[in-house]
Amino acid sequence: MSHLKAVASRTLQLALVLWAVVTILFLMFRLMPGNPMAAYIDPTFTVEQQQALMAQFGLDKPLWEQYFIYLGNLLQGELGQSFRYREPVAERIFALLPNTLILTFSSLFVAYAFGILAGAYLAWRRGSAVENAAIPLVLMTRAMPEFWLGMVLLAVFSFWLGWFPAGGTRPAGADYDSLWALYTSRDFLSYLALPALTLAIYSQGLPLLLMRSNMLDVMKEDFVTMARIKGLSNWTVVVRHAARNALLPVMTSFAIAVGYQLQGNVVVESIFSWPGLGRELVNAVSASDYPLAQGAFLMIAVVVILMNLIADMLYALLDPRISHA
Amino acid sequence: MKSTCRAVMATAFLALAAAASPAMAGDPIRTIEILSRPQASQPQEFQSIQLIAQEWRKLGLTVNVRVMPWEQMSDVVWYQRADWDSTAWQMVGRPERSDPDEIIYNLFHSSTAEKGYNFIGYQNPEYDAVAEAQRGEIDPEKRKAMVFEAQELLARDQPNMMLVHPKQTFAFDKTVWKPESIVDQSGIGIRNTWTFMALEPLGEKKDIVLNSSDNVKAINPLYISGGVDSWVFELVYDRLIRVGPDGLPKAWAAESYEWKGDKTVAVKLREGMKWHDGKPVTPEDVKFSFEAIVSGEAPMYAPFGSNIESIAIDGQVITFTLKKPAASFVTSSLAKVNLIPKHVWEPIIEDLKTKEANAESYQEKTPIGSGPYKFERWLTNEEIVLSANKEHFNAPKADRWILRIVPNVEAALGMLRSGELNFLGEFSGDPKVLIDAAKQDGDLEVVSTVEMGFRYVAFNERRPPFNDVAFRRALSAAVDRRLIVNAAYRGFAVPSNSVISPSLEFWYDPKTLAELKTGHDVAAGMLEEAGYTLDGGKLHYPGDTKETLAK
Repeated sequence: MSHLKAVASRTLQLALVLWAVVTILFLMFRLMPGNPMAAYIDPTFTVEQQQALMAQFGLDKPLWEQYFIYLGNLLQGELGQSFRYREPVAERIFALLPNTLILTFSSLFVAYAFGILAGAYLAWRRGSAVENAAIPLVLMTRAMPEFWLGMVLLAVFSFWLGWFPAGGTRPAGADYDSLWALYTSRDFLSYLALPALTLAIYSQGLPLLLMRSNMLDVMKEDFVTMARIKGLSNWTVVVRHAARNALLPVMTSFAIAVGYQLQGNVVVESIFSWPGLGRELVNAVSASDYPLAQGAFLMIAVVVILMNLIADMLYALLDPRISHA
Repeated sequence: MKSTCRAVMATAFLALAAAASPAMAGDPIRTIEILSRPQASQPQEFQSIQLIAQEWRKLGLTVNVRVMPWEQMSDVVWYQRADWDSTAWQMVGRPERSDPDEIIYNLFHSSTAEKGYNFIGYQNPEYDAVAEAQRGEIDPEKRKAMVFEAQELLARDQPNMMLVHPKQTFAFDKTVWKPESIVDQSGIGIRNTWTFMALEPLGEKKDIVLNSSDNVKAINPLYISGGVDSWVFELVYDRLIRVGPDGLPKAWAAESYEWKGDKTVAVKLREGMKWHDGKPVTPEDVKFSFEAIVSGEAPMYAPFGSNIESIAIDGQVITFTLKKPAASFVTSSLAKVNLIPKHVWEPIIEDLKTKEANAESYQEKTPIGSGPYKFERWLTNEEIVLSANKEHFNAPKADRWILRIVPNVEAALGMLRSGELNFLGEFSGDPKVLIDAAKQDGDLEVVSTVEMGFRYVAFNERRPPFNDVAFRRALSAAVDRRLIVNAAYRGFAVPSNSVISPSLEFWYDPKTLAELKTGHDVAAGMLEEAGYTLDGGKLHYPGDTKETLAK
């Protein structure tokens, strides 16, 4: 009963947060200086043509009316029409989303796999020379700006060594039967390698440090001491007993990291010419394509909010001690 | 006689004024503003404006540079015509601007001052007469003399302060493409339709792979959607005429064309042309193409067809009758309007007439044209693939044309060097970096071409002191254009004193630039001669002029 209530209240909260995001997005783009369509109204247009264009996008109506139309359309999943591309915003966003998701998840998978293993290892080797060298190195990778890291990887592995191509998702002019055929091809992997590596290096610090500090806590717990007393091998104690328990918070941080990663993609997608949502967002903002920018922001906000919800629920599910009260 | 008399009087008056100064000086000139876009988006413009403001200050003016993004700047300049003093501005080159009419007429004719492109409010009946006359003159030599006269009037009145014609720099891999097969189109550069048809492969690589930093927005023959898009649809669609490498019109899908009086052009359609879906190109298709743009469903193209009174077909000959004489019709309409298949577009346009949206937001899955390249594939924000139309009367020598979207300029240069690209279709970085990279690489050739477009400072003639010709002339003379070329454009531009670029050899009047004298002393002398005075280092209006700004 209380569980159901908790879910209902969480959902309500979610709806409120979404409404706030939507309203801020709406107002933000209308507070910008100048006519919202200035960049798209060709100065050679006659006044009638300009007005027709404004009417086509509903910009001739009063602000409050525009707001309610906007909310009404959103409820029907309608994100409007892009000024720049003259096509439905939703269509563009869903064409680019798969590329962004595959980049995000592959890089996070690598980052978390590496982070968890390395974190556990460093906790185990606490106080060793390896740990003393590794921790500053990890902190350094956390502090490196992504654009710098991306450019360095591009210069070294693509332009200098020539191991990987410099941009895009496929060789020029290459045709694939489906998105699946592309994503499972060798070529795609070589194009994915550098952007995913950039993001992975950038994001492995969090799981690594989190895993390490959790491990250090867990290793002090009674059940670990108990396991040692039982005479189990070091390996069994660390992996089977300690690591499994230390893993919980790391897994929930994964969900939240997906949300953050979408922001990180903005930079990496531009450096590696990756046709994703982040690059489109930058384009839309700099080209004053407000409907598209709103749509892309909203999509990212929805993913972040959803991932937070999943993180919350996962936590409760994996660790029964956390209750919804 | 009368004017000499006036000059004597003026001199006498001046002498008197100088003696009695400062009692006879007019109001001090208020702080004047100059608008510029931000350094981050327009570094050269920003730098030029800083240099100009500095020179103007030396004349005793208080100058305020106001930096604002393009959306805001265009809004102020275009819609608040009485509220600004001067602004940086640019006109970009387009093949159809190879005919001088658009620039000569729209930018300066008094009829466009209220709402149109004459946003500076230039009013000169003498100029209006010349601009109108060249419009109706179909004899090229006679028209050329009129266009020269217009340029000289502008040089005299200085409604704008012309700065430079920038250079476009492109590069290609000369181990992939035969360097002699490149076509340098005047005012446009080597990235043009002619090059893409003529490029001759040297070896196994037969695909043209080029870059653009901007996404393709639409491939729509009825929508003028922007620079990169036009690279694509100029290859997919044919036009009756194409602007040739020399900037002059060249018969294309038309086998020939002929003026039959100043309002009638007869065009003979080439025989045996086919649409990409295999159907023949007919004179009805041509007629339909010109009717579609004025159907109300293609507002951006409508101005290019609005002067057509009627279109008659007789065999392969299509006769256009115009409402008003327009010498530029061949270049600005016949070489601008895309030929589209009636069997594809007629049902679409009929359907759109019942809807709120128009043809500009209609995207075909597979655009069908008759051009030298066929549409193959479009991957959102990643690449566009066209394949050579081997049946075309001017079939390309390359196999495919592949446009890759590369937003990162360093990456684009790296790709050109590594072979991922073999034609640099756009380079927004420092051209010197490109030239150095080419030297280092050895496989690359770089070509710079003077643009048709230009950069300038627009003066608002509605507001004093810019309503005074002498003041405008002095401000314009204050800045040596070579300073702008070298400091702001690092040498990749040529000085300008005419809205017609020297790249348009036929129309360009070299006298305009040759007679432009610049320098601080020249400018200060002009102001003094016109009666402006300096008091405490501040410039004052001549005589007893009071400063009044219309509200």
